[in-house]
Amino acid sequence: MTPRAQSDATTPYQSDKELKDGIAQLYDQSSGIWLDIWGEDMHHGYYPTPDFRDHQAAQRLMIEKSLEYAYKKPFPQFAGKKMVDVGCGVGGSSRYIVKKYGGSAEGLSLSPYQVQRANAFSAKVNLSHALHYQVADAMNMPFPNNSFDLTWSMESGEHMPDKKRFVNELFRVTKPDGRIIIVTWCHRELRPGETKLASWELKLLNKISTVYYLPAWVPASDYVKLVTDMGLQDVRSEDWSTYVLPFWPAVIRSALVPTNFIKMLRSGMMTIKGAIASMWMREGLRKGVIKFVIITAHKK
Amino acid sequence: MRLLTHNSLKCPVKGVAKGYPLQLTIVDMEVDETEVKPDFIRGILPSLEWEGVLVAAAAVGFDGLPESWDTSLLDDRDFILAMHRLLIDIHIVEGVLTCPETGRTFPIKGGIVDMVLPESDV
Repeated sequence: MTPRAQSDATTPYQSDKELKDGIAQLYDQSSGIWLDIWGEDMHHGYYPTPDFRDHQAAQRLMIEKSLEYAYKKPFPQFAGKKMVDVGCGVGGSSRYIVKKYGGSAEGLSLSPYQVQRANAFSAKVNLSHALHYQVADAMNMPFPNNSFDLTWSMESGEHMPDKKRFVNELFRVTKPDGRIIIVTWCHRELRPGETKLASWELKLLNKISTVYYLPAWVPASDYVKLVTDMGLQDVRSEDWSTYVLPFWPAVIRSALVPTNFIKMLRSGMMTIKGAIASMWMREGLRKGVIKFVIITAHKK
Repeated sequence: MRLLTHNSLKCPVKGVAKGYPLQLTIVDMEVDETEVKPDFIRGILPSLEWEGVLVAAAAVGFDGLPESWDTSLLDDRDFILAMHRLLIDIHIVEGVLTCPETGRTFPIKGGIVDMVLPESDV
């Protein structure tokens, strides 16, 4: 096990096994209700303006904007190409990409329930031939080196306990001339003279980590450094926190709708705590502690 | 689990030299004949591990594939159909994947393969 970073205070979880079991359980338990309320995607929406209110469109826009940022031009036709959806949820983003641009996708999640739902969604849109989801570990991916043209991690990086190993795996499975896209939650950069976050910030992140089964938080610069050190090219990163701000208030409002509230109560404690944590996420984003970041790089 | 997925997988144990193709033991399988997608098949053919295709074909008793493939086969309608049937239409519902190097096994249950290693092997 690698020595833990100084920002350990942002998580109560020191054991990888505890994390992985928790992650699997969290998504097994809460995916169902999330899907009922929010549809097929389980990532932040991208809200181009503060008054943008079409939440499902925002989720699609998040995917499009990520591709646009990474490729700097309209995403090419993907026919004959392969992508991997690392931490795939129920496959929303890979299903969207393959449906629109062609190609095929392998996806992985620690949650058997999510994989089951992902496969069911694929069948519903007649894309079972092109979309394959399995239970697997992103830190130890069951794919040979140089397998994928696009390595896609949409909001799963925050679950990875060893960022270096995670980035190494992303690099390993990407084909030469392939691209990596990571969209993830980080904490703010430390200011000159600071050695760690303020104690109220650490406390807030720790609370969120407890509920969402997250390991220690890192700043975006950690990812940029890891990716650069690995020899990847055209490494770019951008802070998209402004564009996701309307998301958590929307999540909170939807949780309070009576029918949803009852469903949530029935889903169990993990789900209820998850809903409460959504208020902490909103606070963290508004106060600038939490940053929503995209990082991309090209493998020569 | 489709055999196209089998073709993508390798044993995730650290330090394994190659770890694929995984051996395939089938307990229960289903065949669901779907509309052939020739363009999709032609698109994926170049990136297939042919050795893995042969392992999968042998496991399901699918005879008649060539020892290696070449681009002339892309125009062979029977070949494209056979590849679609093999890689897309066969579903392994229950079975086991085994690493040829370490002997490590990965279960397939309810059509889903579980490639997660126990902590001790990570």
